[in-house]
Amino acid sequence: MTKEIPNQKSEWRGRVKPLRHSCFVILSSFVLLNSSFCPAQQPAPVPAKKPATDGKVWGALVYATTDAAKLTGSTEKAPENQKDLSGRLGKVFTPYTHFEIIGQHFQDVFREYESWVVPSRDLFLKIDSKGPAAGGGMNLHLQVWREQQVLVKTDAVLHPGSPLFIGGPKWRDGQLLFVLDLQRK
Amino acid sequence: MKTPSDENHDLIRWLDGEMTADERRAFEATLQNDPELAAEAESMRQLSESLKTHLPAEMPVPHADFFNSQIQVRIAQMELDDAREREKAAESTAGWLSWLRMPWLVGAAAAAFAIAGLVWTQNSSSGTSTIASTYTPNPSVHAQVFHSADAQATVLMLDGLEPVPAEKKIVGFRVHRAESDAEVATTTLFDENGSVLAVVALNAKGQPQVLK
Repeated sequence: MTKEIPNQKSEWRGRVKPLRHSCFVILSSFVLLNSSFCPAQQPAPVPAKKPATDGKVWGALVYATTDAAKLTGSTEKAPENQKDLSGRLGKVFTPYTHFEIIGQHFQDVFREYESWVVPSRDLFLKIDSKGPAAGGGMNLHLQVWREQQVLVKTDAVLHPGSPLFIGGPKWRDGQLLFVLDLQRK
Repeated sequence: MKTPSDENHDLIRWLDGEMTADERRAFEATLQNDPELAAEAESMRQLSESLKTHLPAEMPVPHADFFNSQIQVRIAQMELDDAREREKAAESTAGWLSWLRMPWLVGAAAAAFAIAGLVWTQNSSSGTSTIASTYTPNPSVHAQVFHSADAQATVLMLDGLEPVPAEKKIVGFRVHRAESDAEVATTTLFDENGSVLAVVALNAKGQPQVLK
């Protein structure tokens, strides 16, 4: 009967094998954690795709009054291509003599989404593009909103340089007006 | 041999009085020999009489003006699309005219196009904005549209609006640009420095809310 002598080399291997396995697990975890938290190894963010547009509009909320002393003190200035705005408004909205821009908004008209022209939270406009019109114009569906109440829905064809003046509600001793102008491309 | 659909067709024509005298006599003879068809005819006749009694001959379409104008706008758009398609088709069929590639003709054509383009640009820049239709949900509000030649503007006058209370402070924005998020149906408004001025979001009723 012979007694089997344990092989020291195989015993050493048997003890080292689990240790190597543990090292592998720890190392793998470290690599994984490191790669998860290291921003330099993250893929570059995909830039947001800019939505297609059919044009650009300028919208403004204007306060019309006969008394200069009643103006709100707004510092808004008309853009360069609207320098004669007060004169043009005065030809339509009589007897008002003073026209003050309260707020203004340059807005791209999105081709597939609705566009909002919000020169003020009190009176603003929703625009849906219906595509280009003959002669460089644009077919639009417009909605004028006063807070959460739609005042009017309209289909319009706008042309650059031929603004739409909307006579809105009375306010104080004057009237609120909305101006919408299609910008030249 | 007549199929059931033919019989139904005859039945409808008989009910509507669209048969000739011979056809009516023949059909009524069929009814006498076919109790099932006769019962159906009687049932439909009663239903027809009941409908005629209880429903007016003509019903007004709600907001007919707006409805009609919407149809006219759609027709105009379809005509425009058709015209564009025809132009494209004409351009594509013009490809076989290889003689147009002669140098002197190319120059002349370029000059003609340049002049035409200039004329077109001048015409387009003098285009007048128009309003095709208006609809005011509040019946006490009336929309009046006219063009002011003096002001070179199209005017949409809303009469009958409730005045804004005098004590209400109207605060204006100077919006430089906006970004829309279609997934959550919001539009974020930015000033010229890139700061957020407000966010337009739709509530459950589809009404806009301007949030800050």
